[in-house]
Amino acid sequence: MAQDCGRQYERVAEIGGGAYGTVYKARDRQSGQFVALKSVRVQTDQDGLPLSTVREVALLRRLEQFDHPNVVKLMDVCATLRTDQETKVTLVFEHVDQDLKTYLNKAPAPGLPPERIRDLMHQLLHGLEFLHSHCVLHRDLKPENILVTSRGQVKLADFGLARIYSCHMALTPVVVTLWYRSPEVLLQASYATPVDIWSTGCIFAEMFRRKPLFCGDSEVDQLRKIFDVIGLPPEEEWPADVTLSRSIFIPVSPRPITKCVPEISQLGADLLKEMLTFDPLRRISALNALSHPYFQEG
Amino acid sequence: MSDVQLSSSALERTAARRTFPLHARTGACRSLFGPVDHDELAREMKSKLREISERDRRRWNFDFDTDTPLRGQFEWEEASVDAVPVFYRDSVQRGKARIPVAALPRGSRDCSGREAGALSRVSSPEATGARSAELNRENRAEQLNSGKPQRRALVCIPRKRASTGDLSSSRISDYFGKKKRTSETKQGTSPVPVPLEQTPRKRIR
Repeated sequence: MAQDCGRQYERVAEIGGGAYGTVYKARDRQSGQFVALKSVRVQTDQDGLPLSTVREVALLRRLEQFDHPNVVKLMDVCATLRTDQETKVTLVFEHVDQDLKTYLNKAPAPGLPPERIRDLMHQLLHGLEFLHSHCVLHRDLKPENILVTSRGQVKLADFGLARIYSCHMALTPVVVTLWYRSPEVLLQASYATPVDIWSTGCIFAEMFRRKPLFCGDSEVDQLRKIFDVIGLPPEEEWPADVTLSRSIFIPVSPRPITKCVPEISQLGADLLKEMLTFDPLRRISALNALSHPYFQEG
Repeated sequence: MSDVQLSSSALERTAARRTFPLHARTGACRSLFGPVDHDELAREMKSKLREISERDRRRWNFDFDTDTPLRGQFEWEEASVDAVPVFYRDSVQRGKARIPVAALPRGSRDCSGREAGALSRVSSPEATGARSAELNRENRAEQLNSGKPQRRALVCIPRKRASTGDLSSSRISDYFGKKKRTSETKQGTSPVPVPLEQTPRKRIR
């Protein structure tokens, strides 16, 4: 096993004792707005910056032209050549000082008021619908990469080039990202925009619960925890060509979602069920979710 | 007459040999605009890059090269990463994998030595060969979660390409339809590949 690891992996960086250094942020003296820098070091070869990176920057800039209120603003992309093998791409983003995770943690005791949750959800789906309509999948939606401004505006971040892979999380026994992962991704079946809706559903439940809905510690464990709530899907819904067999899971019937999220309204529970549908083809789309009666209630 | 033709074609070949990289040097290579002065091209590129960097530097009053704030419209400050959302953390991208930068104090000018050391490991010849490795946290997560032993304190980048069906690639542009190669090659009567350095132009009938 160790030998295997030696062949297949190589050491790229050592992880320090928890300190991650600093981030540069600035206030525009004219507008009063804040910006923050995020740099991505891209490995290059004799052909320079990989074409895919160039394409990705172009795409991020194209999305930027729409100036969507629920997507974090990318103000500039500055590239500097560091060495022959490396280019530093610095992304200048608008600075938002908290993410949804902090926002939920800071919410006082009974949790967020239902109207606040409805507003956050509406904005989140609005941003997601924008990305999906431009054929962009987020694929890693979680409270850490949903920014919430001091005025309560939701901004999706961390898709495309700006995505980070935290080694900190990878080395922690509990890998947070699994918790928002859809069954088709966990099963390594084909996937598309519904993966983001699944994550949104998990986040929706978390807004009420103030703790994650499914906290698996491996792919199989994650699936088990999901089926404990939504029930084991019927044989005909199980995707073909996946390595995990349906038979390794104990047949359980679905539990009412209100058991896990008691604070949710009837219409909210209905929307949540539509989002946490096993079959990605039957899962509600961002566009349809926006016109769900839940958003008309109250 | 035939002598002239011969020598001109020989000249073309020589030019092609100087102009095109080894893999493109086939009999079909023709240099239509004479040999390329690579040194001049490199100089022009460098000066253009400097121009762009200078523009960025002035726009943000920030030296992106050395991570140094300058005086100007923007009032820069260094914030601890714990005080800002995780999203703003720096990262390193190698192939399709992206990992955050760990524990290196930013802004210190002399950090280049240490960083270069860390990075030369990343970009060793064998690493460049594996530049298409497109594995990332997901896959590492699998390793972690499958209960296999692993060394702590190390970030491992799997070198093998993952199956295309999984989540490992991080590019949003992957979801866009692949652009077809220029149709010029198909249009022409001869299957001559269009050299990269040739100015694309319409055929005159």
